[in-house]
Amino acid sequence: MTIIVLSPWMLVAVYTLLLIPLTLILHFRLGLVRETLIAIVRMSVQLTLVGLYLSVLFELNSIPLNLLWFFVMLAVANSAILRQAKLAPRRFFLITFFGVSIATAGVSALFVLAILRPTPLGDARYLIPIFGMVLGNCMRSNVTSLERFYSMLRDREKEYVTFLMLGATPIEACRPYFRTALRAAVAPHVSTMATMGVVSLPGMMTGQILGGSDPSTAIQYQLAIMICIFTAMMLTTSLNLLLSSRVAFDKYGVLRDDVFSKRAG
Amino acid sequence: MIEFDAVTLRRGNQILLDKASFHIRSGEKVVLTGPSGCGKSTVLAAIMGMFAPSEGNIFFDGKRLSPETVWDARSEIALVGQEPILGAETVREAILLPFEYKARRHQRPTDDAIIESLRRTGLSPEILEKRSAVISGGEKQRAVVARALLLENRVFLCDEATSALDPVSKEAVMRILFASERTLLSVSHDPDWIGRCRRVLSLQDRCVVEVTSGTEKGAIS
Repeated sequence: MTIIVLSPWMLVAVYTLLLIPLTLILHFRLGLVRETLIAIVRMSVQLTLVGLYLSVLFELNSIPLNLLWFFVMLAVANSAILRQAKLAPRRFFLITFFGVSIATAGVSALFVLAILRPTPLGDARYLIPIFGMVLGNCMRSNVTSLERFYSMLRDREKEYVTFLMLGATPIEACRPYFRTALRAAVAPHVSTMATMGVVSLPGMMTGQILGGSDPSTAIQYQLAIMICIFTAMMLTTSLNLLLSSRVAFDKYGVLRDDVFSKRAG
Repeated sequence: MIEFDAVTLRRGNQILLDKASFHIRSGEKVVLTGPSGCGKSTVLAAIMGMFAPSEGNIFFDGKRLSPETVWDARSEIALVGQEPILGAETVREAILLPFEYKARRHQRPTDDAIIESLRRTGLSPEILEKRSAVISGGEKQRAVVARALLLENRVFLCDEATSALDPVSKEAVMRILFASERTLLSVSHDPDWIGRCRRVLSLQDRCVVEVTSGTEKGAIS
């Protein structure tokens, strides 16, 4: 099978498609033109640079360099999680960094190093894309769970106080919010799994097929990555909710004032 | 029972209470009045350990409120707010909610005890199967009080507890609260509350002032 390489002119043709959503954004006065343009420019620049960087990374295949890249990915993802969840980095960064790292790195390492076992064992061509997919999905679920959990605690403060007054420990009083936040974070992934292949063809599988892989190989990888993502997602969201709640309350069980970032309002 | 010893409460730069001292004895019925926004609810929050004084000490049952003692104090307090919070899908689940918590799991009441507490608050047992969202404000308030009776809390802290109720529900809730032997501290502007309480404290100019010591007309058995 011949792989069609997208030429710069082909990409330009694809970029012209953006005129449609931008026109609609303008027409409906969504106030998102600037943000959308910035996002598109950022995406383009970041992916181009990462493409170049990954070529070097795959070429060198150096373990210290790979680890450094993982660290950068984790730090950026963790900052994005806290920023989008409107939580104060000063209070949570180390805790959520630990929660995200341990689960995403653990699950990715288990899949690549213990199950796939490529040669060489820590091959960046396997490790980095799989870790990136797991981390990217976990980032979205953590934003949802943390934002939901702490906004519920803030908005339903009287209910939380009532639970404390009924004899609950802070952990017990948080349980309803914990459940709701966790459900909101993982439910979209569960429904994606349920409709996968029927409603949507997943990106990784599509990419592999376009890249020349056999569809059955692509499907096997897709199944494996979906299960890895789901496992890591449950682990990171649970860990981050549990660990962050350890530092979010004072000794009286009261939500600290400095939990939310100043921009949260 | 509850003692404020030179307590200062601050919210940001605003001083709500400035070195205030007062004492509420066990079984007393006390109402706290004062202009809106002067910090009356914050006084209740401080007693519950939800708002720490910047100076001074609060004592509950002779023990200074601290991270170690606050949990025992909370186990003695029933909070009855303006908007009663049941915190569960059905009334039965709401009544049993505190007994799901580790601290009270061993105190789970029998069905007979639940029905008796409902009867004392003027509610019929049928309400147990109703959804919390569909019962009236007065019924919710009475269910909250029924739950407090089961918990055997010794102190009721009420924050405008009857201000959103119709006269019949209001009278029913007040009758239950004033009939009990429990300590009652209520934030209210309602003349009925003020008239029934033995002591009226007023929060004025960041101080707590004893306005009157009337007769406890509300002590209806």
